[in-house]
Amino acid sequence: MTKKLRARTKMRRRIAGLLALGIALIGVGALYSVLVPEPQTAQAAQDPVMVREGEKIYNNTCISCHGANLEGVKDRGPSLIGIGEAAVYFQTSTGRMPAVVQGAQAKKKPPVLTPEQVDQISAYIQDNGGGTEMPAERGEALQGEDPARGGELFRYNCASCHNFTGRGGALSSGKSAPALDNVDEAAMYAAMLSGPQNMPRFSERQLTPAEKKDIIAYVKSVTDGNNNPGGSPIGGLGPQSEGFIAFVVGIVALLGITLWIGAKA
Amino acid sequence: MSTDKPEELPSEEELAAMDRDGLVELGNKLDGVELVEYPDPWPVKGTRAEKRAERQVAFWFGLSGLSGLAFVAAFIFWPATYKAYNEPGHVMYSLYTPVIGLTLGLAILAVGIGVLTYTRRFIPHEVAVQQRHDGGSNELDKATILANLADAGNRSTIARRPLIKRSLAFGGGVLGLALTALPLGSLLRNPHAQSSNKDGLLHTPWQHTSKDEKVFLRRATGYAEEVSLVRPEDMDAGSMETVFPFRESERDDHAALVKVLKRGDSPVMLIRLRPQDGARVIKHEGQEDFNYGDYYAYTKICSHVGCPTSLFEQRSNRILCPCHQSQFDALQYAKPVFGPATRKLAQLPITVDPETGYFVSTGDFIEPIGPAYWERRS
Repeated sequence: MTKKLRARTKMRRRIAGLLALGIALIGVGALYSVLVPEPQTAQAAQDPVMVREGEKIYNNTCISCHGANLEGVKDRGPSLIGIGEAAVYFQTSTGRMPAVVQGAQAKKKPPVLTPEQVDQISAYIQDNGGGTEMPAERGEALQGEDPARGGELFRYNCASCHNFTGRGGALSSGKSAPALDNVDEAAMYAAMLSGPQNMPRFSERQLTPAEKKDIIAYVKSVTDGNNNPGGSPIGGLGPQSEGFIAFVVGIVALLGITLWIGAKA
Repeated sequence: MSTDKPEELPSEEELAAMDRDGLVELGNKLDGVELVEYPDPWPVKGTRAEKRAERQVAFWFGLSGLSGLAFVAAFIFWPATYKAYNEPGHVMYSLYTPVIGLTLGLAILAVGIGVLTYTRRFIPHEVAVQQRHDGGSNELDKATILANLADAGNRSTIARRPLIKRSLAFGGGVLGLALTALPLGSLLRNPHAQSSNKDGLLHTPWQHTSKDEKVFLRRATGYAEEVSLVRPEDMDAGSMETVFPFRESERDDHAALVKVLKRGDSPVMLIRLRPQDGARVIKHEGQEDFNYGDYYAYTKICSHVGCPTSLFEQRSNRILCPCHQSQFDALQYAKPVFGPATRKLAQLPITVDPETGYFVSTGDFIEPIGPAYWERRS
């Protein structure tokens, strides 16, 4: 009987030990999955179909300058690891990328990639190193409530290069800040986020999303022909062109009238 | 005209008997003028053409009056407050300038056209011939006018009255001296009377007024009374932010908060370099600890003539001045590399306040900012 009893307690101890080990392992596993942070570089949320399609487009249009693994090619194109979807959106949706020639800076041109392809390639780049993401809104939803305040912020942060009504201007060594006519809201937002080419970057903490939207509202209110109450913007450069036109047209008109009066007298 | 007067002047009785036409003719004759042609524009009175011309003039004057009234009404009642293009009322607002311009312009133009029309239709278009002599005045005229002037001077006896001459010299001299000396004297003020404080040429509002005062770096948010301070993590690599000085003592002082944004010598460019560029920085001797990591603060005021140099190129790390195309290298203590500027942009010493985590300046610029002035050595 004592032998039987001993065997049963041994059995029980074994089972209890196995159970305890199992519970401990599960507990550690659960703790691990709760406590260990999300990896910083990989974006698990990207749709794998989008990523695969994006990779195909990348291999067709971008690989020659930016390298097979997005590492960049010396003297051709920079590495794209960690640039984020905002940079991709700006460069491809405004037609700057894919670039045609190497130059001081890529110029705006009709986009080569369709909006769908832009989204796919954004997903691919975002999947490889992450980076700054775009807001969910597009179009007029990115225009803020207060264009007057946007104007103040524009003059503090943007006007020195882009001119106070978004006419653009020259920079060093053949580069230039583009005029802001016919730029869609999302591209402006993406440019502020990603700082394309020589433009400084404006993080969401430096200019809050609301401030960025106010700036976009201001830009939209002074570009695309919205700032010519007189009928023609005459370059939008302020008093110089306006004064010149007033002088030339006015003086010629006065001369004509003088001659007419003289001829009639 | 004095020499060739008509021989026959009318007597007083003849003058009294003359009618208006005769008087006009006589006056012209005395001036050597002869009216060759002097037609009445409307020889037959009350024709339909004359009435039409009259109505035409009245139309222009009337139009001017109506347009003037419209101008006054538009100037007072038309909505002139700014409306963005996506707000209701934008069309009315954008028509404000054209409307007041058109109405006022039409009012002025219509008066002019009315006057011109009246002149052309109702004022006789005469042809007049006037005799005039050739060359200068004759000897007789010259001799007599000189004698006249000399006589006037002599008769005034000014040459014999030294008291009057001296008192005049005194009165006139004091006035003249006052007119020249006062403007010149105002230039004699001491330009360095304020040099030791922040309103002088040598200092800026970044100057600390007491030893343990904290001067924070504040960004402009479009609302002057909103105090938004800058933390290092607010800025991405390759970014620039315009910052202004802020002291806790000014937090509720609306006037001071507004004024510091408007002062010409307070704006500072806070630049965060990209890490690969930060590693290549060459610092100025004696300013090695002015930066905080990759964060550098340079004055926004160009050392050439004081324009705002806020065109920062984040990849070439150049700071451009839009006025005269000076370029400064942000990687080499903002020294000028192109253009007319000859001095570097002054660098503001910054660090992070350990208590609050915000950027603070550790002192004023150690050199004057902006353009040179004559006592400046460099």
